[in-house]
Amino acid sequence: MNEITRQDAGASRPTEQAPREETLQPAVDIHEQNDAVHIVADMPGVTRESLVIEVDNGVLSLEGEVQIAMPEGLSPLYAEVRAQRYARRFTLSHEIDSEAIAARIDNGVVHLTLPRRDTHRKRRIEVQAA
Amino acid sequence: MFGDLRRFDTGRPQGLEWFRQLMDEMLPEAGATDIRSVPRGSFPLINVGRTDDAVRVYVFAPGLGAEELEVSLQDNVLTVAGRRAAPEEDEGRTRFRQERFHGDFRRAVALPEGLDIDRAEARFRDGVCEIVLPKREELKPRRIEVKAA
Repeated sequence: MNEITRQDAGASRPTEQAPREETLQPAVDIHEQNDAVHIVADMPGVTRESLVIEVDNGVLSLEGEVQIAMPEGLSPLYAEVRAQRYARRFTLSHEIDSEAIAARIDNGVVHLTLPRRDTHRKRRIEVQAA
Repeated sequence: MFGDLRRFDTGRPQGLEWFRQLMDEMLPEAGATDIRSVPRGSFPLINVGRTDDAVRVYVFAPGLGAEELEVSLQDNVLTVAGRRAAPEEDEGRTRFRQERFHGDFRRAVALPEGLDIDRAEARFRDGVCEIVLPKREELKPRRIEVKAA
């Protein structure tokens, strides 16, 4: 689990302060099951330490720096991946419990679990006999 | 190092992908592209770099392990092939997005001549496979002694 921090409303996001930098948009799968929304994102080259997940003002941001040890003096011949950083943001709906978001990274694949608040879980309504 | 590659003219920021696609449909390709290059969103993406003594290939294959990626070199064409499993099918699952690639893949890139395949090494780390292909001894840059007259 990396940092999930909740910042005060009004505090500007780090992504807006930083000078514009080219970022890659990671491919994601999103589905909902068992009272939680699950996000799976491809972020190859990102390590546990370089992954930053934040929730601010109902916006989930997923960022990671590509950390590949490359020798000095390596000159590019051909490149399809042309940025060092991935970034993607999603707005959360209010029933997501942002305090309870869990994340893990496995071989460059990030798995996020966003549970719904207890009060918003699906409930079966008992139908009583007349 | 690959952060400084805007001079390689094969793409624009992904945020403008929709716009780029629109433009691509309207305008014919201006520059010449590598014959084995692939459109954005292909899997896996590949970077190639060179040092004085080796060529290094980086295959961005998240979720795959060493035994799931097949790497071969014939003449000077490197081929990587494999399969990434589809997400589990589960009842009671509502899907919203399915952008990640799954299924079989095979990609090839042309490398410079004169690599020593017998000394090649590959290792996987954080979803990136690094393949190091040393140059043959006779092709390494050599320093030429300048003698005093």
